[in-house]
Formats: sequence, structure tokens, C-alpha cells
Amino acid sequence: MPPAKLEARGLGIRFGGLAALSEISFTVAAGEIHGLIGPNGAGKTTFFNCVTGFYQPTSGELWLDSLRIDGLRTHETSAIGVSRTFQNIRLFSNMTAIENVLVGSHMHIGVGGREVAVVRRPTGHRLLDIARTLPGAPLAAIGGVVEIASAVGRPPAVRSAEREALERCRRLLESVGLRGRENAVARNLPYGDQRRLELARALATNPRLLLLDEPTAGMNPAESSNMVGLIRRVRDEFGTTVVLIEHQMRVVMGVCEQITVLDYGRKIAEGTPAEVQRDPTVIEAYLGKRASAEGGHGAP
Amino acid sequence: MPGTVRRATWDRVPAGLRSLAWLALSLSVLVIPVFDDTWVRMFFLVGLYVVLGMGLNVVVGFAGLLDLGYVAFFAAGAYMVGIWSSPVSPAVDTSLSFWLILPLALVVGAVVGVLLGMPVLPLRGDYLAIVTLGFGEIVRILVVNMTNVTNGSQGLYNIPRPDIAYREVDNVQAFYVMIVLAAFGTWFVTTRLRDSRIGRAWEAIREDEDVAGAMGINTTKYKLMAFAIGASVGALGGAIYAPFITFISPESFTLLVSINVLALVIIGGMGSTQGVVAGSLILIGIPELLQFSETRDALEQMGWARDGLNGAIHAFNTVTTADVSDLPPADEWGEKLAVYRFIVFGALLVVVMVLRPMGLFPSRRRTLEFEYPPEAEVAGGGGGS
Ligand SMILES: Nc1ncnc2c1ncn2[C@@H]1O[C@H](COP(=O)(O)OP(=O)(O)OP(=O)(O)O)[C@@H](O)[C@H]1O
Ligand SMILES: [Mg+2]
Repeated sequence: MPPAKLEARGLGIRFGGLAALSEISFTVAAGEIHGLIGPNGAGKTTFFNCVTGFYQPTSGELWLDSLRIDGLRTHETSAIGVSRTFQNIRLFSNMTAIENVLVGSHMHIGVGGREVAVVRRPTGHRLLDIARTLPGAPLAAIGGVVEIASAVGRPPAVRSAEREALERCRRLLESVGLRGRENAVARNLPYGDQRRLELARALATNPRLLLLDEPTAGMNPAESSNMVGLIRRVRDEFGTTVVLIEHQMRVVMGVCEQITVLDYGRKIAEGTPAEVQRDPTVIEAYLGKRASAEGGHGAP
Repeated sequence: MPGTVRRATWDRVPAGLRSLAWLALSLSVLVIPVFDDTWVRMFFLVGLYVVLGMGLNVVVGFAGLLDLGYVAFFAAGAYMVGIWSSPVSPAVDTSLSFWLILPLALVVGAVVGVLLGMPVLPLRGDYLAIVTLGFGEIVRILVVNMTNVTNGSQGLYNIPRPDIAYREVDNVQAFYVMIVLAAFGTWFVTTRLRDSRIGRAWEAIREDEDVAGAMGINTTKYKLMAFAIGASVGALGGAIYAPFITFISPESFTLLVSINVLALVIIGGMGSTQGVVAGSLILIGIPELLQFSETRDALEQMGWARDGLNGAIHAFNTVTTADVSDLPPADEWGEKLAVYRFIVFGALLVVVMVLRPMGLFPSRRRTLEFEYPPEAEVAGGGGGS
């Protein structure tokens, strides 16, 4: 599927008194590698959480091509083609590498091919949302029974779908450099491999928009330049738009085509890496932060 | 851990030999009907709890949803049979054939599972446990109060035995065979599910529900599926239990049933079939065994042990000037054991859990979870810059 365009229109989210994001508007062009940077606590991860349905924004809209995606549930955004990795790696740690990737392919091993998710915009009233699903309940029940029956009966179609998925997941592992680690339990993998496995798992969902939350965090220079190459290859081979949260300026400048800078939940700058690097507000935001939080962090 | 070592030994046995051993063990259940009726009865109960345990395993072991109200589904199955076939059933005059009610009971069980599952969908862990505990009780109280359907606390009696080839089945052996077939059926279905896309989705939900959602898994759907399947198996157990016991009342469906099933799943090792069998043998078999007349007879022959132990007590008294009295005569041991069997049994459970906290036959996954407690994985996972 072709890469998707992401558009934020006046996006905002509040946690009690804290405006974690406010009035965020920007566009990520289809097929672009877009950097999202900003000091700690700027709201970068929160933005990802809004796009993937982990958080419900309190104002504004998010559009993926011509579909509005804010307020949808996680599996719905995933079905539309948004996938992500996590800042603090969240693998299924007791499952093997290949099983992790297979979970990512879940939607594509459906009984009758790709699982069709019914995506409905929430009304804002929980009970109303539930009531709206009721007419579809009998059909969903029948679907569930069919799915259970095919898992128990394991007809040839299901077997071959499983086999194909397994083959595809092997290739995915190979393409992120985890060949031969298929049966390693995720938690036993070295740190860098875990990040790569998260990437493979995210790719298994067939994303049109891939959100990477600090994919090089905790990596040594060699590993992170390897990751940069991987991100570029992923965009080219899998045809997906990439949004990248990153603290290492070397990585950001090396791989991103466009950059958006957040600070205290607001967009303070955007442009090409060169433009952003020269922007005085950006420099101030970073220097100000660093001066006030001296020694607190490993610095961008 | 001592447990880890023992598991490793068993794992080093060649796979072929291992499956042969399991096959032999599974087939050995067919020998049981030649025993005395009391024994077959005991093994029927063990088998019943194997079925229930495998059902609960889907919910707790596979999907990681701690359900303390499992008795509700057992009751649903039993009452389906009771209501539709007992002559004293207030709401229904006719008496349907067991074989007609059985599939209906499975469906009703699944529906009850979905209905009870829906309100608890947003809940996790401890909260889920408490609410399901409440549901178990609510169902029991409903049964007590809906007298015009369930006959209230008087219960439904004279539940007819099922017919096989137009002959009423009235021996424990036939019921035993029935429960064994049910157990094998449940085993087949649940292992097939576990090894499917559905099973993987359950596992992902158990590991990290939010991330499972982000990977495209409709967590609502798969949690309800787990509840429905678990409940359906519970109802299967209930449906076979009702004509076996021929009398059901709210008292047969107390919290203790839920606790027993959960305990046997945990003792056996969550998520594993061998575990459920071992757990049922221990949890259901042993308390029954302790009150058998055979056990009493065997203990009566233990006079020599009493003499020996009394000798030790005398020596102890002389050395420490304590005054420990002699043991009671051996022919009273059996009775005492029968009376105190739950204490003996409780002690046994404690010993098992201390020696093998992951259960007797944990699934591979559970072993991992115990080898590396969750705290360990945080290290190095750190966020920040
Ligand atoms: N669920 C939540 N409840 C309350 N506050 C939250 C929640 N999630 C995020 N925040 C707050 O929103 C702000 C932005 O957090 P966020 O994690 O998005 O920062 P970030 O830009 O990803 O920072 P970092 O570089 O440290 O990862 C922080 O002040 C954080 O405490
Ligand atoms: Mg962050």
C-alpha cells in the first residue's frame, strides 16, 4: 500500500492542569522521513500516543490521508495503517522473536484474508458508542464462531496462511538483521536487537505510517548508524511514511528530510534540518533546558 | 530453584520417548473403570475438574484474565440440564433428552460468558478478580431467588440419567467414560486454539494489552472469546455433573468450586494441560482418597509405625523432660485423617507452592516468567535521552 500523509490540525491534549500538547498543526508528507524533536517532556511521545489511539486528544484533529483518526482505538488505527515502536521497549518479553513478529502480522492471517476493521468515529458518549455496536453484534458473534472453528479445525487455507505469515515474518527478522534469532526469547536479546525486533514487529502490521520513538536510544555510535541505514531502507522498501523522535542530533540531521520541533507542548519551529539548526528559538529551547537541568540527562 | 532442575531433567528425555510416555499415561485412564465404584467415582470427579481446569486455563492461563467466578458457568451448565429434564423443574414440564440439552448448554454457557465478560472488559488484575468473584455469587443468589425457574434452595432432583442407545446410563463407569471423552475433547479444542492466531493474540494480551492493541489485535473481541470458550467448557462440566449427581441446588455452586478450580490450575502450573491433570489429582483426588475405607484399612495395619513413633516420643520425653502423649491407636488414624483431611491437604498445597512456585508442570512461558521476574526487564529499558 502507498505511504500515507499525516496531518495534525490544532491538536491538543490536557492532563488535568497540564497542557501536554496545544495547538499542534503540521503535515508529514507521504513517504517522508520526518523528525520530531524537542527537549525532555516536550510532548513528543504524547503526540505518538494521540496518533496511535493510546490517548484521546482533547481538541483538534488528526488526519491520515482522507481519514480522521484521532479518538480511534489502538487496533483501529493499526488497521488503518499506523504502527509504532516504543521509547521504553515494550516487546512481548516472554515470547520469542518470531512470535513477536507474528503478533504483528495478526491482522493479515485472518480466516478470509485481511481482517476488516469496522472503524467508527466515537461520539464522545461511551454508552452511545456501545449502543452503536449492538446491531453489528450478531454478525460479530458469527465471525467469532467461524474464527474459533477454523482455528480448531485448521483447514488447509488456515494452515497455508500461517505458513506464509511465518515465512514473511522470517524475512522481516532477516531484513532488520535478526537472522538466526527467531527462537530467542525477546527478553534475552541484547538491547540493540530488542529495538530492531520492535521495528520488525511494527513492520509486520504493514504500516503506511511508521512512528519510531527514539529508535537509537541506548545504542552505541556503530549501532545507531546501522539503525539510520535501516530506517532509510525501511522507508524505501516498505513504502511507508516515517516519523522519528530522536535526541541524537547526528541521527536527526542525517536521516530526516523535514523536522518539527516541540517545546512545552507547543510547536516552536519546523523546516529542513539545516533551517531548524539555525533557528534561534530552537537553540534557546535546547540551551535553556540544558542550563537548567545540568547533569540531569545525557544531553541530545 | 529445585523445580527448574527437575524440569530440565524431564526436558532432556528425547521428545519421542516423552510423547510416548504421555500417550501411555493418557491411555491408562481407560483402565480405571475396572476398579471399585468408589474409585471410579473419585476419578470421575478428578476428570470433571480436569475439564473445568482446562476451561479456566483458557481464561486465566492463556488470556491472563483472573476469573474468580468460574462457578457461574458450571452452574449454568448444570441448571440447563436440571431445568430442562428434572421432573420437579417448575418452569418446564417436559423432560428433554440429555443429548439435546448438552449442545444448548454449551451455547448458553458461552452466552453467559460473554454477558459476564462485557462489563469487566475495562478491568485488569485485582479488580477483575474481585468483580468476577461478585458475579459468581450473584449467579448463586439468582439461583436461590428465581424459585419459579430453579426451584430455589430446594434444588432440582431426580435429574434423569442420559440414555445411550435407548438405555438409561446408571453406572459410574459410563459417566467416567463420558467425562474422559469430554476432557479429551476439551484438550483438543483448547490446545488447537492455543496454537492458533487466537492463542497468540491471547498471549499478547496477557503480556501487554495496550501493545497488543497497537499491533492490530481487537482486545475486546479476544477477551470476550476467551470468556466465552472458558464458560462453554465450564457449562460442559456442569451439564455432565448434573445427571451424575441427579440433584443440584445452590449449595453445589459455592465460591469453593471457583477456588478449587483456580487452585488446581495454579498448583498444576498455569497454561499447561499436564498441570491441570496433576492439579486435579492432587486437589480433588487426595481429599477424596483420605476418606476412603481403603485408606483407613491401610492405616490400621500401621501399628508398627505407631510403636516406632511412640518409642521416639518416649525418648524425646526422657531427654527433654517434656510430656508429649502417645499417639492414638492405629485403627483410629483413618478416622482422624478423614476428619482432618483438609488440614493435611492444605499443608500439602503449601509444600507444593514453596517447592515449585510456578506449579508442577508449568507451560514453557510460565517457566520463563518465573525465571526472570518482571523487575529484571526494566534494567536497560530506560527512556529519556
Ligand atoms: N498519561 C499522562 N498523564 C499525565 N501526564 C502525562 C501523561 N503522559 C504524558 N504526560 C506529561 O506530558 C508531558 C509530555 O510528556 P512526553 O512523554 O510526551 O514527553 P517527551 O517529549 O516524549 O519527552 P522525553 O524526551 O523525555 O521522552 C510531560 O510533562 C509528561 O509528564
Ligand atoms: Mg518520549
